[in-house]
Amino acid sequence: MAETTLGRGAFQIAVPREKEISLARRILRSKEAYLILVPTFVLVLTFNYYPAGSALFHSVFEWNGANIQRFIGLGNFIAMVNDPTLMGSVANLVKLALFALAVNLTFPLLAGALIFHLRDLRLAYFYRVLFVIPLVVPGMVVLGIWRSIYAPQIGLINQMLRGLDMASAARPWLGDFNLALYAVMFIGFPWVAGMSTLIYLAGFQAIPTELLDAAAIDGAGAWNRFWRVEIPLVMSQIKLIVILTVIGALQNFATIMVMTNGGPGVVTMVPGLWLYRNAMYYNKMGYACAIGTALFIITLTLTYLNTRYLKSSVEFIGA
Amino acid sequence: MRKTLKHDFPIHIILICAAVLTFFPFFFMVMTSFKATPDFQHNFWGLPQWIQLSNYSDAWTRIKNYVGNSLLVSITSAAGVLFIGSVSAFVFARFRFPGREALFLVLLALLMIPGILTLVPAFLLVKSLGLMNTYGALILPYIAGGQIFAIFVMRSFFASLPEELFESARIDGANTFQLYSGICIPLSKPILVTIAIMNILGTWNDYIWPLVTIPDGRRWTISVGIVSFGSSYIGTESWGPMYAGYVLASLPLIILFMFTMRYFIAGLTSGAIKA
Repeated sequence: MAETTLGRGAFQIAVPREKEISLARRILRSKEAYLILVPTFVLVLTFNYYPAGSALFHSVFEWNGANIQRFIGLGNFIAMVNDPTLMGSVANLVKLALFALAVNLTFPLLAGALIFHLRDLRLAYFYRVLFVIPLVVPGMVVLGIWRSIYAPQIGLINQMLRGLDMASAARPWLGDFNLALYAVMFIGFPWVAGMSTLIYLAGFQAIPTELLDAAAIDGAGAWNRFWRVEIPLVMSQIKLIVILTVIGALQNFATIMVMTNGGPGVVTMVPGLWLYRNAMYYNKMGYACAIGTALFIITLTLTYLNTRYLKSSVEFIGA
Repeated sequence: MRKTLKHDFPIHIILICAAVLTFFPFFFMVMTSFKATPDFQHNFWGLPQWIQLSNYSDAWTRIKNYVGNSLLVSITSAAGVLFIGSVSAFVFARFRFPGREALFLVLLALLMIPGILTLVPAFLLVKSLGLMNTYGALILPYIAGGQIFAIFVMRSFFASLPEELFESARIDGANTFQLYSGICIPLSKPILVTIAIMNILGTWNDYIWPLVTIPDGRRWTISVGIVSFGSSYIGTESWGPMYAGYVLASLPLIILFMFTMRYFIAGLTSGAIKA
């Protein structure tokens, strides 16, 4: 490595003809750097890499986490396909993910666009802060509030229905076989106070003013400008929201656990919760690891497809 | 001014409707948290007829342990992430050594590994290490996981600091630690605050991990505790204390938000780049 490129960021006094110094000596000379990195790597290897490796490894075992450990090849994955609860949970997951996608690509996008189009910048800032506040309320408190909204006896929805003389429509929303999953989907309505709105808004605000001015001079109306200029230019934000929403849906089972615990019966079961139950209640650790491995592979594939096939705004400009 | 308002008016209508729908449940929570049970039963939608402050004292005696545990765990974890993360980021940003990029990649790759994959073996690991029911079962994995994104962000920030600063300090005889604590850290305060806040928010809200590693109710964090607390009230008609508990569980983060709003918003927007 030449002397000149060594300068920035190098603590050692720049030594000429570094290439000629053996690797072993360079490693030895940098021992301070390696030493400082030890805590980080000890933690990561113990609490991240070891469990991840263990999960992948044990996905091909029958394993109770202790004495029983028997290699069964793809046995767990075959059992997964034949597990009606798991297959039902996958169907629920697909419904939840599609609904979350539909929601996250409309309501927060609209909210972000509206805030962006405000001429009064003070009020635009006010709305931005306003829609951040609910993010600060702990997730479990928000779910607690929604549990009271859906509560069977004195829940807010049922009380409202009784007040409107529609008492016959009142029901235990989260305990209803047909409605429970939809009740869970509806949590967070009207879905504008969240990270998605902030991300879209940041995207809109990053659009160069000249582009919008140019479109206006060319006679594009607000509608055309929105669809042909603004939306293509926030494509990378849209892409980000798509992947965040899908990954979130694949992984988050705390919401289902707290709201319905998969019930009534197993009609609102999701794969994550089924993984948890197999591990914690039935001691089927190998099977749980196999479900985790499957979810991991699906996440990786979707992330790859997202970066590969959803065009980002940069490519749009280039086109 | 009038022209601005005229242009903005339809937008305000939509945004205000959205805000009302968003905030009504929170408003209802705060309002009901001050109601006595008979008041709540007969005056469900109305404002409280008298202020029942005992709701708050009742709720506080039941959740104060959870809040205390969460404060301890969240603050310790955030401090650990800041310290361990920043020294590692410092090394990655300002040292040159063989294998630097490879080691960094080993850390970055972890951003692709979902928590759901590691949940079961990590639980068994914590169990075999004898950490069950200890704060360490939470703090150590929180630092391990939290430092990754922190190192990623801090490395690029530290690398952008001008080399001249370090150069002149070195000429004055500063050692590595002095360069780190005297130059790097003071210049990076905003980003450190943002990282600390994002970590506190994450650990305060985590539910599944404390649920599996802390079976002992006395050591529960607020997320686990408040669910159990809420469940004990939801079937009854005394929602005043339940909602008072929810308000109390939310206060620490809301207070933090009030003092650090700027960092909060920056963190929430940039935190998403993680994926």
